[in-house]
Amino acid sequence: MSHQLGRVVSVILQRYFGENVQKVGDDLFTYGSKPIALLVKSTGLSRIKVVESLRTLLKYDLAMFEPTPNEVIADYRLIPENVLLMIRYPRYLLQIKTKYGSEAEILIEELLQKACSTATVLLVSIAVKYKDDKQASVAELKEGSEIPTLVPVATITPEIDVRAVIKIMNSGNLAESSDNVYWKVNYDRFHQDIRDEIMIKAITRRIDENAGELLRHMLQHMYLTSPAWAAESTLVPAVELREACLRAAADKPLLNQYFDQYLKVLGRKKKSALRVTEESGCGTVRADAGGRGYSVRGAGAARGCLLALLEGLVTERLGYKAARIFRIILDKKYIEEDDVQKNAMLPNKECKELSYKLLEEHFISLQPMRKTASAGGMNKAVYLFHINLHDVAHTVQDMCYKALGNVLRRASHERAAHARLLDKQRRVRSIVHGMRLRAEPQQNIDDVEETLTPSELAVLQGVEKRLKQLSAAELEIDKNLFILKWYFMYTH
Amino acid sequence: MAGRGRGRGGSGLSLTTEQIQALGVTRGDNAPPTLVPPPLFPKLEKKPLPLICDAATDYMLIVKDQFIEYLHESPAFVKVKTETDGVERYSDKYKMLALDAKQNKLLDCVWVNMPTELRPQAKRPRTVPRKRKLDDPEEIAKRLQTLEKKETLETDEAIDGKKKELNNENVDEEEELEDEHEQEYELDDGTDYANNYFDNGEDYEEEDDNLDDGPVY
Repeated sequence: MSHQLGRVVSVILQRYFGENVQKVGDDLFTYGSKPIALLVKSTGLSRIKVVESLRTLLKYDLAMFEPTPNEVIADYRLIPENVLLMIRYPRYLLQIKTKYGSEAEILIEELLQKACSTATVLLVSIAVKYKDDKQASVAELKEGSEIPTLVPVATITPEIDVRAVIKIMNSGNLAESSDNVYWKVNYDRFHQDIRDEIMIKAITRRIDENAGELLRHMLQHMYLTSPAWAAESTLVPAVELREACLRAAADKPLLNQYFDQYLKVLGRKKKSALRVTEESGCGTVRADAGGRGYSVRGAGAARGCLLALLEGLVTERLGYKAARIFRIILDKKYIEEDDVQKNAMLPNKECKELSYKLLEEHFISLQPMRKTASAGGMNKAVYLFHINLHDVAHTVQDMCYKALGNVLRRASHERAAHARLLDKQRRVRSIVHGMRLRAEPQQNIDDVEETLTPSELAVLQGVEKRLKQLSAAELEIDKNLFILKWYFMYTH
Repeated sequence: MAGRGRGRGGSGLSLTTEQIQALGVTRGDNAPPTLVPPPLFPKLEKKPLPLICDAATDYMLIVKDQFIEYLHESPAFVKVKTETDGVERYSDKYKMLALDAKQNKLLDCVWVNMPTELRPQAKRPRTVPRKRKLDDPEEIAKRLQTLEKKETLETDEAIDGKKKELNNENVDEEEELEDEHEQEYELDDGTDYANNYFDNGEDYEEEDDNLDDGPVY
């Protein structure tokens, strides 16, 4: 729990839920768990507002409660990870859309908005919203699309009675639903999908499309037997894999031809059977010495992705030369300053400057080694550079939190500074939209649109561009945070 | 280095002309006074890579904005009570309309999973403020009446009691009365210095009207 994390959580709550919820969230983050009475006292809000904020937090799963020793009063505690997940919602929706189609996406969107609801209520509300466009498709929605990313809270899959749904739709009375199984979005499954996508994309970029296909099949097999986030999955026999590839990828003759070689490349290790290859081959697959089976190493893949992330970060911040130095130190594990200069082939001064900059930013660390000479000789301590991956990962995570907090804060500042203009634009847009629906003459529409003067329009355009950039930056930072979290799953 | 060593005649607190020349400050030019404040952010040496702006990102941004709009419209967004400065504005009518539309909406939650204190029916533990007994003018009138009655009763008793004791204490009373008169005469000099403004705090605990039953949590 770092200071930066607290700041990010605070800004996210403000953006999504407003200032009261932000205050309550801040308080809970600083003090851990608190009952309502203490919250009322410390935030200075009225009790009603505190109760409303807590309702919101509990509904969207951003906080939880547990009984105090008193057993009558409840203590509330914030869950920061779930608050950070809120930034990732659009990514989930995009994923579902590409995989299962837009109807599934509508379903997930509605469920994200409601956070938790019964199936009938969900379907009915979707039907009501999209009455004009999709009539009959709603009924087919549940049966047709296989949506593995929903999870019923009570692990019983209910039978959705389509006729009951339609009846409720027509009568418009939600209270008739007799379902009492609630559904929620299963974030874990989404994360699995994202992780698979990252791995496959990385392999495709590194080696070849065929290798990507191969990995996809391997992952599919893996899901059948081992848990999703295992550091190393159970063995997949090679014969099965080959058959699956033959069947599925008939248009990829190269894959089948060079099957064995692909597998070898995927799993190529340096020197011993336990080390992970960083540079080529990715270490994502490990071959079993005897029985010709292969397993997917999730931990290795996470580590590889993290290293790629770090290199990219160093390149962006300090230049390609610094990245070269970073890679050398990574390679050699422990290396002296002079040796760095020799290997990097950079001018001495620059090399020193960059390595000290890397040290400053905590990407590398020093390890002193004393060459103990006999008394009277020069006790020269040798300092070796090395990379402590765990520490560096934490530093980068903190950097990401800080960046995210800054981005959100800046966006809210822009919005507050131009609040009047943005409001005006919104009103003009809604009025014009209403006029268009009523088919009013173009002259009137032009008149309304002209209330926004050209200079105001110019300012608004600038503001919108900046806000869009900041939003896109949020999503990028979130991608990095995902990789970091994935790595941390295996190092604790 | 040599120059520095040669120039070190004294304790070395100030630099000789040689040293100053070595540092690069020549005689003629004073450092021009900086009229511009220093920049707000330090200059970036390496420009960051451009953001990915493809259709997927655009779509994600639109979706995100829609989601935030939805949240802001829902009762999940808890509104802060903005303070008006007493001036009536034209926009008040529209603001009131918007507020009223949202005012009575209760957030849709699974009430079974929430602790009792958050559920709607348990919302009013003690929101009716305890009426202080002295706020109501009727109460005040009643109280005054009871006090009057008490006073008349007491004075009756006091008069009876006094008549009995009057013979015993007559002299004392008279003396006291005289003394008091004299004292008053002396004290009332017309200057503030003589008057006794000291309050020794005995009156503080006398007030016994504990009208409220202690603080309400």
